[in-house]
Amino acid sequence: MSIIDPSIGPDRARELFRAELADVRTDAELQALRTRWVGRKGSWVTAFMDALATATPELKKTLGRGANELKKEVEAAIAERQAAVAATRRPANAVDITLPGRAPVLGHRHPLSLIRDEVIEIFTRLGYQVLEGPEVEDDYHNFEALNMPEEHPARDMQDTLYLATPIAPAGDPARWPLQARPRGKAPWPPQPRTLLRTHTSAVQIRHMETNDPPVRLVAIGPVYRKDNLDLTHTPMFHQVEGLVVGKGITLADLKGTLSAMAEALFGQGTAVRFRPSFFPYTEPSAEVDIQCIKCRGAGCAMCKRTGWIEILGSGMVHPAVFEAVGYDSDEITGFAFGMGVERVALVKWGVEDIRLFYENDLRFLEQFGL
Amino acid sequence: MKVLLSWIREFVDVRESAEDIGKLMSVRGLALEGLETQGDDVVMDFDVTANRPDCLSMVGIAREIATAYSTPFRIPVDKALEPGDTIPVTIEDPELCGRYAAAVAEVTVGPSPEWMQSRLTACGVRPISNIVDITNYVLLELGHPMHAFDLDKLAGRAIKVRRALPGESLRTLDGTMRALTTDMLVIADAERAQAIGGVMGGADSEVSPATKQIVFEAAWFKPASVRATSKKMGLRTEASMRFERGADLTAPARAMARACGLLARIEAGTPTGRIADAYPVGHAPKHVPLERRRISGLLGMDVPDAAVVRILASLGFTARPSGDGWVVTVPGWRVDIHRPVDLIEEVGRHYGFEHLPATFPGVQQAPAPSDPRIARDRRIRTALLGMGFSEAITFAFIEAAAAEPFLRPSAVLGAGGEAPVALANPLSEKFAVMRPSLLPGLIDAVSHNRRHGWRDVRLFEIGTRFSPSEESRGAGLVWTGLATADHWSGARREADFSDLKGVVEQLAAVSLVTPSFTEAAAHYLVPGRAANIVVNGHVVGTIGQLDSAVAGRRDLPAGDAVYVAEMNLDALAAETPGDTLRATAPPKYPTVVRDVSILVDDALSAEAVRGTIRWAAPDTLTQVREVDRYQGKGVADGKVSLSFRLTFRSPERTLTDEEVQTGMQRIIDALIRNVNAVQR
Repeated sequence: MSIIDPSIGPDRARELFRAELADVRTDAELQALRTRWVGRKGSWVTAFMDALATATPELKKTLGRGANELKKEVEAAIAERQAAVAATRRPANAVDITLPGRAPVLGHRHPLSLIRDEVIEIFTRLGYQVLEGPEVEDDYHNFEALNMPEEHPARDMQDTLYLATPIAPAGDPARWPLQARPRGKAPWPPQPRTLLRTHTSAVQIRHMETNDPPVRLVAIGPVYRKDNLDLTHTPMFHQVEGLVVGKGITLADLKGTLSAMAEALFGQGTAVRFRPSFFPYTEPSAEVDIQCIKCRGAGCAMCKRTGWIEILGSGMVHPAVFEAVGYDSDEITGFAFGMGVERVALVKWGVEDIRLFYENDLRFLEQFGL
Repeated sequence: MKVLLSWIREFVDVRESAEDIGKLMSVRGLALEGLETQGDDVVMDFDVTANRPDCLSMVGIAREIATAYSTPFRIPVDKALEPGDTIPVTIEDPELCGRYAAAVAEVTVGPSPEWMQSRLTACGVRPISNIVDITNYVLLELGHPMHAFDLDKLAGRAIKVRRALPGESLRTLDGTMRALTTDMLVIADAERAQAIGGVMGGADSEVSPATKQIVFEAAWFKPASVRATSKKMGLRTEASMRFERGADLTAPARAMARACGLLARIEAGTPTGRIADAYPVGHAPKHVPLERRRISGLLGMDVPDAAVVRILASLGFTARPSGDGWVVTVPGWRVDIHRPVDLIEEVGRHYGFEHLPATFPGVQQAPAPSDPRIARDRRIRTALLGMGFSEAITFAFIEAAAAEPFLRPSAVLGAGGEAPVALANPLSEKFAVMRPSLLPGLIDAVSHNRRHGWRDVRLFEIGTRFSPSEESRGAGLVWTGLATADHWSGARREADFSDLKGVVEQLAAVSLVTPSFTEAAAHYLVPGRAANIVVNGHVVGTIGQLDSAVAGRRDLPAGDAVYVAEMNLDALAAETPGDTLRATAPPKYPTVVRDVSILVDDALSAEAVRGTIRWAAPDTLTQVREVDRYQGKGVADGKVSLSFRLTFRSPERTLTDEEVQTGMQRIIDALIRNVNAVQR
């Protein structure tokens, strides 16, 4: 490394130093720079001081002061740079923060369970009690009390799975589904249980038989129908059924309630529409559509260009149902609705094959988080 | 129901397009299922609900459209027929046949005119001959089924409506020979059955090209009877479908007049102009009261009186003002109207559900609590998800063979155990019995994932198990594959019994109980690797390694160790303390920790050693933990080296070294004396 020409004065030397400092990249280069400019031997400072030896005292004084100032400045600049470099150096005990973490295994919620809990949450918030009930039912509670006597054509609408051997209520009343003798037209002693419930409505009947109005409940759980497996049917599926009974309950109340539910499940501003329909246990009856969540009503493949997607059946409780449970149908009215949990999941997540919900394929379940 | 727009427009002036009509009718109770352009006409396919047999016709649907659009509706009026005994008609069972009208005509059988054929075809009915086409035309137009007999084929030229005789049979129009039973209603001549009432005619009296004289039939049959006969024969026809839902008792005369009118119009024959109408009981019109306040009371919207009256009149009802409302007379075709609410539905749907405001039911009392199982199951579910188990939902019906190893052993039923709850009409053998356990479904789910290359599986399901004596809620767990996944920091480890046992212990902790484990034997578990989960002396579940034969039958690879557990959540809940929990402050005095290492016989259970320690220890011992278990170099065969960490604490004072030491000595002495331990 050449010795810097000592004849250049402190001002020019400063400029040169600054330029060189800017180019320094490594620790070693920094040390070399220090030696070159302010080292004890062969540096600019020593050479400059040597050159000054012959100068006039006057000149020596001014130039000497300038050289000393530059020396301090160089030391400070180098120290500063050293500190900066040190600050960026990896500490000895550093971890590689880019390595993958040691993750505890987390399970995934089943999508039907997510919808189920969402619905429970919504209706709990609206002041409903949530009930479950027996899955093996008797004919009376599954059909007859719901205005579907033996020869009713509506029984065809729900092909039923029957037990090979009916489960008798037996002599021990503790094994009967209810402790107290129900009010209304329920047979006593209880009928043998012969079928898998085709809807959760039986839970509502059992509740009304033993509780006075007002009623405000949601019944939830698996139901069974003799449907072959295909894209949109499974022989077991899950239902949510709501029932509100009291003085002055109206169809408009049903509309408000279902609108609130639709917004909670499918997003703010999701409109609902009622289409008149027929169910034996409600009058008037309505099927309820939500505005298509994909096209927002414009019409797309998902809603078959109608802008609407059917999600549930509903209506005002039929007076015959009230009579069956011993309620005075002149005094009270009520609304009821029933919705398939799978149906909501299909629509909400755009699932095209309902059977996926029952395969329990982890590659499918993984998507749904907790 | 397929209807033709041009045909509908004969009865109602509606200029809107088929699409627009479909859209409006969909929110008035007739959902449009399909739309198909045919030349300059349109076929509209409406979904008619089971309660509206009257809408299985052009006039029925036209009446609905007229009401929806507030336009007039007109029905074709044919010249009424004079009563007359053109053919003797006897009804032997007036309960099953409320009316039987017959009319005779001279005919020339041939094809029907082009316009009639094309209308029938458009609506999905195959043209056959002018006579049969007339009956089908009336069926489509008015919704009332009709039939035509070849009069010369009827013995005694008479009609007798009776139940089938024992052993009687009949070849129906579809060529099938059918055995009849005495609960079935038949239309017979003087000698034998010639048609099954309301279901299908007989082949012998079928109208043929040689037919010279016919008898038209327009009758009313009891819905339940037609339904039962049709079901028993597995024979559903356009006629049976309408009769079983309820035909109009007042319609036969109109239908007959229409048929005879058409006969003359298409020049297929000459009717006599007379009708033999056996109508034993007659029709008593229903009168249903409709109070004004009930309409708004049920719907939650006000419907103006004028709208109420207009809608009801347009649909064919007669509303006569009475008191605070009306008395409404129901037309014969509205077999679905019985009560005021039925009328309110008519008013509401045609006024428009879109006018309903969105209101909320008021709360009159505090909501009753929900089923406690919901919160309980959620707690268990959350804990399992946190422990890495994914949630499965499987069908509650399974194969009988899959259920078999999981049936409860039963003294009464012998080695096979309790019988499963079997289905009488299962969808298939795969869904034959209700699951006695959640494990078969979970094992199949593991098998599915295994087939798709997923080896490490942790699944659980919370659901109902079925036995002839009860339904109970359980939690099933299955774990196979790795306990610790491959990771840069350390070795992978396969899951074992202890891993799943730890999960079960945590579930017990979540339920605020402490479980113990006793040796168990179960058909589906590996012997020596099976335990009952016991709480307060009650068995609440089972845990163990799945038997490889059981696993193999569900297509799981033989080498896979699969650990399973199942807990009866209802039984567990019964042991869970209710509101008795009382909180305690953290301890004030320090703990003293001592380790002890011993050598014991390796057949000795950990429970036995732990029990000895607890038995010998002073009250100040608060915790015993197994911290090491070693066999191998330096430990004799048949022995095991165990290390325990003991924690002592007094709630009243700081323990001294001496008293802890005394306690430790007593424990060591007891271990030496009672379990043959050697201190290391």
